[in-house]
Amino acid sequence: MSKWYLLSGAENDVAISTKVAIARNVKGYNFTVKLTPDEKYEIADKIDDVLDEKLPGKFVSTPMNEVGRDLQISLAERGIVSPEFISFAEGRTLIMTEDESLSIMVCEEDHLKIQALLPGLELEKAYELSNTLDSVLDEELEFAFDKKLGYLTQCPTNIGTAMRASVTLQLPALAMRGQIGRLSATVAKLGLVLTGAYGEADNPVGSLFQLSNQVTLGISEQAAIENLKSISLSVIEQERALRKELMENLKFQDILWRSYGTLKNARVISFGEFMEAMAVVKIGVAEGEIKVKNENLNELIFTMQPATLNVENGRSLDRQIRDAKRAEAVREAFGE
Amino acid sequence: MLCQNCGSAEATTHIKRIVNGEATEIHLCYNCAEHLGYANMFSGFGFNISNMLQNFFPEFSRALPTVDRSERCPTCGTSFEEVVRTGMMGCADCYGVFYDKLKPSLSRIHGRATHVGKSGVAQITAAESPKLEDTLTKLKDELKEAVDTQNFELAAKLRDEINAIEGGTK
Ligand SMILES: [Zn+2]
Ligand SMILES: [Zn+2]
Repeated sequence: MSKWYLLSGAENDVAISTKVAIARNVKGYNFTVKLTPDEKYEIADKIDDVLDEKLPGKFVSTPMNEVGRDLQISLAERGIVSPEFISFAEGRTLIMTEDESLSIMVCEEDHLKIQALLPGLELEKAYELSNTLDSVLDEELEFAFDKKLGYLTQCPTNIGTAMRASVTLQLPALAMRGQIGRLSATVAKLGLVLTGAYGEADNPVGSLFQLSNQVTLGISEQAAIENLKSISLSVIEQERALRKELMENLKFQDILWRSYGTLKNARVISFGEFMEAMAVVKIGVAEGEIKVKNENLNELIFTMQPATLNVENGRSLDRQIRDAKRAEAVREAFGE
Repeated sequence: MLCQNCGSAEATTHIKRIVNGEATEIHLCYNCAEHLGYANMFSGFGFNISNMLQNFFPEFSRALPTVDRSERCPTCGTSFEEVVRTGMMGCADCYGVFYDKLKPSLSRIHGRATHVGKSGVAQITAAESPKLEDTLTKLKDELKEAVDTQNFELAAKLRDEINAIEGGTK
């Protein structure tokens, strides 16, 4: 079965992926911080039992201490688990579907973090997926809930819906024009937060940003999703307008074709160099100047990451060999 | 340790990240963490609310000298002092024990809001099950009809049911 990021999603010239995460805790157990490893595995077993009965054959459950380090990091590179989740393995279990689009981190911060990941801008669909799984589990396990405070979480900042929805956006034109600071101040006023996805927070690798909802108490899931969607669409429109403008600029055209040359010809390329060139080329693709499919480029954001390349090749590669393998795969994607 | 962003304030927020195929951690002061958008996320992202609580609490405790920091949650044994230090509740019951005390600092995040949105399955079941009073009224009506129509067998059965419910609620 193809991984979720190999498929094409809506608005994928700018929107790379959509994630909806819901935190839940099983009633009758202390929160994760107060649990022994045995109790944590007991919770994972309970979840497995419900899934085996209600959704047989759909999920695979793996204790994290049985997952090799490269695969652990690769899972984090692809956004399936958090860096926190792989900081130690004992007591932690990952339950997920074969295409990796729907998963549960067991005993990360809360007992469950139910997570749906889809390519492009697909907020309603991602919410629907995670919400359905939540309801199936809640019916059997019963999650900690309070009428006034909503779903109760280990950290009091997440109570209420305990839902974080986020859209990963590639914003090279806005970044090149120095618009990110203004943008993050604007979205903050609208209850959202904009952070860098990889690398430095305010100047991330490949201009990849994550836009997510901040408020969980006093706003319904639907309203939060709707709010995030409309603001995402507006950011996407701003990015598109600036991309058009940039294409008129000779200096930018030069950068664009040089970046294209790098991707098409490099024999050794680091993930950072790849992402920088790819972000620029994205603009040429969107404007029809360069003929590559957006979904093929977006997929490379996940498959070209260092640990993910190691996993693909079945061993931890020497850096130079890895950079050569990456260059080869990128040239292939550009039809060489 | 100094903040890696501004290099001047003490780093109190430690954010785990994946860079170049390796897990690393960056260290930021509270202000930089907030400025860079790391405040108020799932702490799986690295943010630790305890910074915020600690920033707020000295003032808060002066204003309310009666706050007993050694009070413990009867269910999980977590003390209030521990909640402030770690920023984490120990169990669902901690909310009943500590939430009001935390409110002044948490209102910065949540305002005065209460939950709207999805409800837990137990809540839905409670709301959907008919109220006892309604059931009683219905049974009493049926009993009256049974007596009126001299269906004494049914009447006896209904009386038993009514007694059982009334006995249970008293
Ligand atoms: Zn700082
Ligand atoms: Zn407790």
